[in-house]
Amino acid sequence: MNRTHSRTRLRLLAGVSGAVALSILAVAGCSSSSSSSATSSSSLAATASSSASAAAPSSSAAATVPLVLYSAQGYDSAMSKAFTKATGIPVSLDDNSTGPLLTQIEASKNNPKWGLLWVDGATAFAGLDTQGLLLKGFEPSVAWNSLGAASVPADKSYVPTGVTIMGIVAYNKTKVANPPSTWQALASSAWKGQVGMNDPSQSGPTFPLIAGVMNYLGGVSSGEKYFTALKSNGLIIHPTNGPTLQALTSGQINLALVQSSAAIGATFTDKNIGIKYLDPATLLPSALGIDAKAPAAEQAEAEKFIEYVLSAAGQKVMQSGDPTGDSLYYPVINGVSPLPALPSLASVKTQTINPYTWGPQEAAVNTWFDSNIVR
Amino acid sequence: MIDLTQPPAASARDRHGRGLARLSRLARLPRLPGWLRPGRLGMPVFWLILLAFIVAPCACFLVLAVSPRLFDQGSQWFTLTYLRQAMTGSTAVAIVNSLWVSGAAAAIGLAVGFPAAWLAARTTLPGRRWVSGGMWLALLLPSWLPALGWERLVQPDGVMYRLGLDWPWVTHLIMGPFGVVLLLGLRCVPFSYLAISAALNGLGQEFEDAARVHGATRFQALRLIVPILAPAIMSALAIGFAESISDFGVAATLAYNSNFPLATYALYGAIGNFPPSFPLAAGMSWLLVAAVAIPLALQARALRGRSYAILSGRTRQAVRRRLSRLEAVCAASALALFFLIMLGIPAFGAVSGSLLGDYGSSFTLTLVNYRALLAQPGLTGPLERSLCYGLIAATVTVVLGFIAARLLSAARRTKATGAMDYVLLASVALPGVVFGAGYIFAYNLPIMSTLHIDLYQTVQLLIIAYIASSLPTNARVLVGSVSQLQGSLCDAARAHGAGAVSAWARGVLPVVSRPIMMAWLYTFCGVFLELPLSQLLYAPGSPPASISIEDNLSNYHFGIGMAQAVLAVAIAFTVVGVVLGGYRLLAPAGWRRIGGTVRG
Repeated sequence: MNRTHSRTRLRLLAGVSGAVALSILAVAGCSSSSSSSATSSSSLAATASSSASAAAPSSSAAATVPLVLYSAQGYDSAMSKAFTKATGIPVSLDDNSTGPLLTQIEASKNNPKWGLLWVDGATAFAGLDTQGLLLKGFEPSVAWNSLGAASVPADKSYVPTGVTIMGIVAYNKTKVANPPSTWQALASSAWKGQVGMNDPSQSGPTFPLIAGVMNYLGGVSSGEKYFTALKSNGLIIHPTNGPTLQALTSGQINLALVQSSAAIGATFTDKNIGIKYLDPATLLPSALGIDAKAPAAEQAEAEKFIEYVLSAAGQKVMQSGDPTGDSLYYPVINGVSPLPALPSLASVKTQTINPYTWGPQEAAVNTWFDSNIVR
Repeated sequence: MIDLTQPPAASARDRHGRGLARLSRLARLPRLPGWLRPGRLGMPVFWLILLAFIVAPCACFLVLAVSPRLFDQGSQWFTLTYLRQAMTGSTAVAIVNSLWVSGAAAAIGLAVGFPAAWLAARTTLPGRRWVSGGMWLALLLPSWLPALGWERLVQPDGVMYRLGLDWPWVTHLIMGPFGVVLLLGLRCVPFSYLAISAALNGLGQEFEDAARVHGATRFQALRLIVPILAPAIMSALAIGFAESISDFGVAATLAYNSNFPLATYALYGAIGNFPPSFPLAAGMSWLLVAAVAIPLALQARALRGRSYAILSGRTRQAVRRRLSRLEAVCAASALALFFLIMLGIPAFGAVSGSLLGDYGSSFTLTLVNYRALLAQPGLTGPLERSLCYGLIAATVTVVLGFIAARLLSAARRTKATGAMDYVLLASVALPGVVFGAGYIFAYNLPIMSTLHIDLYQTVQLLIIAYIASSLPTNARVLVGSVSQLQGSLCDAARAHGAGAVSAWARGVLPVVSRPIMMAWLYTFCGVFLELPLSQLLYAPGSPPASISIEDNLSNYHFGIGMAQAVLAVAIAFTVVGVVLGGYRLLAPAGWRRIGGTVRG
């Protein structure tokens, strides 16, 4: 008798809680069916975009749907707001690190929910392109400068928006009088135990750095020998730019191989940090790529977004949206000057790596690096 | 043992009369088929929830290890390559490391948590009122914060060296396996403390008195009490092991910087690589899931066929043992040292991260990061959102967790409850990133869009995922108290004429109100700063607090990000304070009395 009562009570309670949990699902169902009233900043926007995606093939290209932007840029929020203000097109921003964004894209590739991707590193875009995940053939009508022209891919599957540099050494001016200027010098015993860099499995821009060194030295095996030598010389690995720079300022290391925007941004807060470009430094384009499976209406909006980013108004937003971080880039459009804090590239030897050669090798190189250099 | 199995005759008659009245009312209604009656629908619905929101996402991810083509993640329909890869080379090393480190951490957690719980609940320890709050504060801190504090303290050229303490041996000790075990062990202490103190609160004075009346010494009385607490002890060990093996905060900071690989980091590496290797990550997840079978088997073996029902409405208030002056000083000093390490070092990490404006190159304190944070547009939105998500997720989780705990602690374990036990603990062992990816695979299938069920990247799915990922730990925290509930509590209320719900609310709820509140707070705090699930599932345009913090940290605004983390932790702790204070002020005196103590 007692057991029967107890069981009934438990079942009732389970039923009530089940109803609560299922009501969440019901709300989800409702919100997905009321997608037309989505706004850019509300939580319903994402739901709306999802159902819009499903219904897209039959909808007209002129219909306004929220543009789902996956971005790891510091100025993306400011850019989204400015774009919506200028065009009336709502933007649903997924602002994340590069790693989680690419994980989302790969996990959802049989039913993608993104419209536009904006991250650093052409190799990631080349990887997505070779899987057929990017819309090909779109190039905005802009006047590229030499950096921009060198970064546009042949199949026009992504669009460069700016360039930062990998292969820059941030150093502690109070401890280092003559920083190294070549990759060979960096590996010399003079810098034993003083060099730090990022882990490519956590820091998106670090694979292009490693690929750049391998490209410069003649191939993967030469590059592996070089990084093995650096490790023997006491190379210290930190996850991303921030911790590596922190190791520099706290005195754990004296030379930090980081992204140029991070290093230059750090000089604003710590006057003891100096910058030196290694010969050659590798160009790291930031780029925008459109989802090949997105509805036509969303693809059209994505193209408008790219054009806005590369317009004079968009470039202003890029240069003011994150003044101590990602805004410190080299523009790719004629007539747009870099921010004054950026040193001139005229005296710096740079190289561009072929993303379609190096992109497919990213997983193998990163795995080797993690197994042999990080551990 | 007190058991009200035989209700008074008058009450039985009364109940009988009401039962007849109810039957006659029911007779006027059309009869529903048995399986459609509300009482019978509850359990299937509960199981449906478990299957849909815990089993299905995990299964979708795990199946990738042997069949990557199912979700378009490779060309093979069936392969054992990834399982083999997971068991060889550096991933195997990481998994072995995780296994022994988690075992040691769970043991440390119990070794410190048990005495702390006993001192706070059963003695006149000075400052005992602060112990519980301190444990909660420690629990709500993200695990990377203590790791950061330790690193800043002992790293080469760190604070220790700047203070003139040239102790490289300390650096080697902390920046290595010992430090990792110590940190994870300290992280397990609050879990053990909560499980044990919940059980101690339910353990009245009568058992100790009975032993003492029969001539037992204090030590012998303890030998009687410790086995009664076995469910809580086993629960503490199991949850400590599972939480440690799935921890990412320490794995990605102290362990990583010490070149001591742990499984969660290796798994994260496989997913974070580009293109990500979900099948390899799934292979490693299989091993983690298999690993939790160890504590679960030990737990089942220890508890098999025994009843631990001790909590009833007539549980007598326990008597606090008076500590001598020396005992009090020693015990208070030990606990003070524990909290200094547990809270002082993370606080140091946070302070050094957020109050040093120049990436920590000097010791100059400044509020520049906090000023910059307050000047950032859209600061409050993510915090409000996370508060809201935390409130909803914690409330639903506690209801589901209570049911799961009740089923897990049933005297007669069926195969279904055994399976549920394993599913819940195994899912604790899976890192959040696995859960998140599993949710994408399970709820973003093309067929879902065809059916217009577009849950991926909605607030609803994020909250469901929060609930599903919190439920296993929540049930595990509650099981210690729930296993002590006597069936007589409800029966007594029913005997006095209460309906089923009212009997539960008036007979059972007062007894378990405190553990339920604690479980609610724990879930709230976990959800409030949850990162991996949020990163993969949050609705674009509606970032929660953790995403906003991570955004600052990853965009080179390290100090601002740290300041934001400190602010978020302060808000979470304010909520804890409000809830605890509210309970103290508003809960009926009888609710608060249960589990209370009197001075001896």
